[in-house]
Amino acid sequence: MLSFKPLIGIILVLALTLTQGCVVTRGTIGEPLQEDAISQIKKGTTTMAEVVALIGAPDRIVRGNDREIFHYYYYDGKSPAMLLVLLNFIRMDIKSDNLYVFFDKNGIAEEVVYGKRTGRTQFRLWPFGE
Amino acid sequence: MSSLAPRFSSIRFAIGILCILFLYAGCSVRRVAFNDVVTVEQVSFIRVGQTTIGDLADHIGAPDEITESEFGVVALYNWSDTKSAAFDFGALARLILPYAPTMTLNKTGITPEQLQVVFDPQWTVRAYGFSRRTMDKPIVWFWPF
Repeated sequence: MLSFKPLIGIILVLALTLTQGCVVTRGTIGEPLQEDAISQIKKGTTTMAEVVALIGAPDRIVRGNDREIFHYYYYDGKSPAMLLVLLNFIRMDIKSDNLYVFFDKNGIAEEVVYGKRTGRTQFRLWPFGE
Repeated sequence: MSSLAPRFSSIRFAIGILCILFLYAGCSVRRVAFNDVVTVEQVSFIRVGQTTIGDLADHIGAPDEITESEFGVVALYNWSDTKSAAFDFGALARLILPYAPTMTLNKTGITPEQLQVVFDPQWTVRAYGFSRRTMDKPIVWFWPF
């Protein structure tokens, strides 16, 4: 039983040595967009007020082609880093989700455009390659 | 002669370690990727006057920004791959001195790129194009001059 103690100590020291200088950071902007709420927006029937009730107030309101466009966004960034005494690697991967709801002149949803990229955000340390 | 051989090999080993340390000394590599790259091949499906904003979103996702211009509404897809490398000549001193002088060469290349798609009032594509594209730069390139 006693012989395990040095082994545990060695494993602990090894683990600490291997992970020393490791930094893991995650940053987000906004709230993740709920796909079940987005799917409830029906073109030609859902009103502006209903969209706000479902998803919340937009992050931006854009005007284009005489129409109001609600823009919702969410950003997710993952950044691992290895900060050793002589060598540092830092990599950050940021992706965004965007939702646009186009309203006609009567305030009825006319088009919904949604793109999700944050699912592909990765913790990648190695800065070389793609 | 035989007693000199191990000593010579240990000196070579020490010199090798020093060389590796010197090569990596104060080397810092940073990379920040924002969104996925949109390639020319990915947008080859676009037909001016036919492709709608919905078709575009189905193929390459929602744009990052929609704005109005004199020519119509413009959808913008943004991405970038920022590379930064630094070499601190003072880093080796950290191993032997309590004070580490800073002698750093650093180069950072921020390359924001953009796909711009202009729509007519019926939300079909009127025109599209990429921003001025930069050639791929090496990841480790710290020489700032």
